Amino acid sequence: MRSVIKVENLSLSFGDEQVLKEVSYEFNEGLIYGIVGNNGSGKTVLMKCICGFLIPDDGKVFVNYKQIGKDADFPEDAGIIIETPGFLPNMTGMTNLEILASLRGKIGKETIREAILKVGLDPKLKKHVGKYSLGMRQRLGIAQAIMEDPAILILDEPFNGLDKKGVIQMHQLILELKSQKKTILLSSHSQNDIDVLCDIVCEMDAGMMHCIVDRTKEKGEKPVYEGAMP
Amino acid sequence: MFKKLRMVMEAAFYNFRFWKGNARIMAVFILSFILCFLLTDKIVVFAKAHETTMQLMEAFIWTFGDSNSILLSSLLLLLLYADMPFITGATPFFLVRASRKTWVLGQLVYIILSTGIYLLFTLISTCLLCAPYSFTKNIWSQTAAILAYSEEGKALVLPASVKTLEMSRPYQSMMSIFMLMMLYVLTMVFIMMVFNIWKGTVAGVLSVLVFSSYGVLLNPEHLQKLLKLPEEFYYKAKVFIGWISPLNHATYYMHNFGYDKLPTLRQTVFIFIGSIVFLTLLTMRVTKKFSFVFRGTES
Repeated sequence: MRSVIKVENLSLSFGDEQVLKEVSYEFNEGLIYGIVGNNGSGKTVLMKCICGFLIPDDGKVFVNYKQIGKDADFPEDAGIIIETPGFLPNMTGMTNLEILASLRGKIGKETIREAILKVGLDPKLKKHVGKYSLGMRQRLGIAQAIMEDPAILILDEPFNGLDKKGVIQMHQLILELKSQKKTILLSSHSQNDIDVLCDIVCEMDAGMMHCIVDRTKEKGEKPVYEGAMP
Repeated sequence: MFKKLRMVMEAAFYNFRFWKGNARIMAVFILSFILCFLLTDKIVVFAKAHETTMQLMEAFIWTFGDSNSILLSSLLLLLLYADMPFITGATPFFLVRASRKTWVLGQLVYIILSTGIYLLFTLISTCLLCAPYSFTKNIWSQTAAILAYSEEGKALVLPASVKTLEMSRPYQSMMSIFMLMMLYVLTMVFIMMVFNIWKGTVAGVLSVLVFSSYGVLLNPEHLQKLLKLPEEFYYKAKVFIGWISPLNHATYYMHNFGYDKLPTLRQTVFIFIGSIVFLTLLTMRVTKKFSFVFRGTES
């Protein structure tokens, strides 16, 4: 299986606190990786380093064999959600996505509409994003991440604020994306999300990461891990 | 190339989309209008008292031909750029579709455009405030003549000088002052941007305060007192300060119009543009190592 994201000896400190300690890992194509861990364990920081938003003190990140920060500033074929998605509050969801899509110029209005429909929102909705609920904003964030059909998805807590029905819808969507050979990195505090979606579960603990479940080897077995969830 | 340019412009205009209904932005423009009202008041009162008319641009020329007014107006921009380096919760979505260079150039274009809008607003405000007593023809008014050729300009602390009157006309003067203000403010804000990205928000604000204080404290009177220079050296001190103080470079009458050793307008423009180009390159360099910290945008 092809390695899509490779992290080599990644270390990062904020002042005296070391938030990543020589993290090394390879994320392979077509799998869903769950990154779990307590608050402050370094999940989001790791994702931000992979996205190129944070510059590590040491170590390297390769995405599709391109070193982030050297060959490319940010992963080139990736859709992301990092923390709470932010949009232009005085515009509709559709307009927000149209503006973002215009940057790459790869897709048109119809594809954006389809992405919005996929996440269960109405592309014709006139309501401004500032008046959206957290769940609706989260859905719009997911639509933004998937609309250009990227090969890699980096989703930090993508189900925050979603109701039960919404979570099930998003699970189905992510499994559908997996069937299209997308590589997905997902962090979540919900054990159910991890159980249902992830092939491999990695736990972040005090800046270190280790794989605790590998369902690709234990096909059919229920994943077992302890202490990863709060 | 065209695609990158379009992305830079999109990055710039993305920031303008946050202006709608933004209380901070509205406050900047309201305060700017109030500042214009306060600063132009003495010249309007003077014209009314002498029952003389004014050329439409004169309120702007006499107000912002003065270094203190330029300084006050430029400091208001600190509020406009309080959210520098303009990172919101939407920024990661933008970044992943662009590059660091595109993003930072977009921010710099935003600064240029928004500063232009701010100064244009300042100009329009001063014109509106003196419009009832003004004419539009490109000749100096009687008010200007009284201010320049009598001691009344000095008494009112207005920079109305014979030099300005005799070497140029109102619209040309206005354009020169507008350009000098624009270049001074851009230099100041670009310095703020460099320090903001390099060392953080506090360093950005401090850099502006140091830059402004340097301009304020550096005047010939201070230098003469500090170095205990005899009176005959005052002119030399004035010329020296005229060259090394950015605020003096931004002050219209502190230029050489053909008979002294102060910098010419052309030299000042070159110095400011050179500084801005250097600061742009420096900003791009420090952005390479910049770690993005995002915050939410929704209320």
